[in-house]
Amino acid sequence: MSPGRFTGFMTLAGMLFLWLPLLVVVLFSLHATASLSFPFDGFSLRWYERVFENPEVRAAVRNSLVVATSTALVTLGLATLAAYGMSRSRSRWRAPLSLLFFLPITLPGLFIGVALLIAFSRLEYSLSLVTVTIAHLVYVFPFFFLLARAALERLDPALEEAAADLGATGWTTFRRVTLPQVWPVLVGAACLAFALSFDEFVITFFVVGPDPTLPLYIWSSLRRTIDPSINAISTLLLVFTVLLFVVTFALTSWSERRRRGTVDALALTGVAERG
Amino acid sequence: MTGDPRVCIEGVSHAYGAVTALEDVSLDIADGEFVTLLGPSGCGKTTLLRIVAGFERPSAGRVLLAGEDVTGRPAHKRATNMVFQRPTLFPHLDVFANVAFGLQVAGVGRREQHARVREALELVRLEGYERRRSHEMSGGQMQRVALARALVNRPKVLLLDEPLSALDLKIRLEMEVELRRVHRETGATFVYVTHDQREAMALSDRIAVMNAGRIEQLGVPLDVYRRPASVYVAQFVGDANVLPVEVVEAGAEEATIRLGDCRHLVRSSRAARGPAWLVLRPEAIEVRADARGTEDSRTLHGVVRDVAFRGTGFRCRIEMPALGTQVKAEGRGSTPPFDVDDAVSIDWLPESCWLLPREHGQAVPEPVPDPDPAEARA
Repeated sequence: MSPGRFTGFMTLAGMLFLWLPLLVVVLFSLHATASLSFPFDGFSLRWYERVFENPEVRAAVRNSLVVATSTALVTLGLATLAAYGMSRSRSRWRAPLSLLFFLPITLPGLFIGVALLIAFSRLEYSLSLVTVTIAHLVYVFPFFFLLARAALERLDPALEEAAADLGATGWTTFRRVTLPQVWPVLVGAACLAFALSFDEFVITFFVVGPDPTLPLYIWSSLRRTIDPSINAISTLLLVFTVLLFVVTFALTSWSERRRRGTVDALALTGVAERG
Repeated sequence: MTGDPRVCIEGVSHAYGAVTALEDVSLDIADGEFVTLLGPSGCGKTTLLRIVAGFERPSAGRVLLAGEDVTGRPAHKRATNMVFQRPTLFPHLDVFANVAFGLQVAGVGRREQHARVREALELVRLEGYERRRSHEMSGGQMQRVALARALVNRPKVLLLDEPLSALDLKIRLEMEVELRRVHRETGATFVYVTHDQREAMALSDRIAVMNAGRIEQLGVPLDVYRRPASVYVAQFVGDANVLPVEVVEAGAEEATIRLGDCRHLVRSSRAARGPAWLVLRPEAIEVRADARGTEDSRTLHGVVRDVAFRGTGFRCRIEMPALGTQVKAEGRGSTPPFDVDDAVSIDWLPESCWLLPREHGQAVPEPVPDPDPAEARA
């Protein structure tokens, strides 16, 4: 076998290893019978119908939507402020503070889950969707912070000076000059926060109360019985999450292109950027 | 209106950490004046402009606008407007919204906004560009929009921080003409920062030549050029030969100097006997081809080392054995009457040179290199 064919073969094998399990789940979510193994007996949407008819699934989806939406919105507010502050600060505490803001990204979910569970029980705070939301905030904050800070630091600080020079206060400058330039990244990052929260399992497992989120519902029903409608739920979850990631990516890269567009125009007309 | 100067800078000092950027600078600027802060990068000129704009707070000293102390007032509360080095147009807004920004922030009514934006765009000759975005314009056009964006607020003081340095030479020359016209038509006070001495002389009513955080000389362009206050100014503003001489006789209006082996008359009312610097502009030097056997003690002899054609004339470097240095000279005409390695003699009129005091044993100053715009941008 030539080296070229060998790498081709390995790539194909790797791809199959990654994608085949997913494809099997998607395929059997469309299966006409309850069998979870080959031979395949034709297509139907009956498992999807059953998912939508199941009140427990609906409740779990609603719980997850509530948690993910709250997480995304609160993170959008808090992490945007943190990132803006960190990107504009001239303080010598700026670097260590920034590090503290995004370092939790390295913490294992298990650690965050246990730590929060201990904290909540010490505070005698009963577990509910609120504790899940708080836990998800801890988990998604660093991701949002990193994206938002990178976008804010790429902005030309002279634009904010120009706005101040024209009479704009700090808040007006933020609203009319800074925000219009970075909102696609912020909305994209909020979508990412939503997606991360929506299918989070490990941390949720520790701090969840009586109302399960969708990933927890899937896990608990798998323990009872292997029902093909699990395949349908997983497929829906997959499609939804992938869509959110696509939106995140599209918004951030569109914003970057828009920014570069002006810089390229400058370069073309012989206006060099001052280093 | 009071008799106070429009802009008054009083004993302003500024330091960035341990680095001193400005040292006790004072400057009064009259209403409607065009004053340029000229100096190499790092001389403090931009810092001074930013202090007047309100972006920096001086470590010491005061800034007064029309007699009112504004030292502690932030930029958005000052009646100054600035044009930045790079065209800092808001990329998410079109030309109209960019120019109208200051009016909108100030709460000016919609109808007046339209009228004043149109007026400002007419002033910078960009009528009909309202709906353009910054990436649809050239660098020169963007800088015109930035100018309109500042002028639309009818500032009493317009601050310009090297607004032309990022543009090509041809557009730069056109923009100089535009700036002079806009200054005439608006009657506003212009404070202009540049490292380009040619630009400073072409535009300004007065020039403040800055060096290492201080103003070395303040005066009208002609004075700064003809009567520089220091060797530094002589070399930074225009090209100059700075030669060590001895004043042997100091009269009321004229002085006699010894240069190498020969004596020369210099028009100067303030010379004192002793060592001095002679400032000779290249265009003041007359170069003549030497006829053999004309050597006498009155004339300085040299050998041509380099000749360059410059469009309006030619420029040469002449090795002067008696002075131990090379002298730069400039002549008019299309062809120089001499060639490289020719023997020549040089002369000048007594009124076309300038004397500056010199300490005993002071070395011949290193000429300040002409600031390269490309380097200033890097």
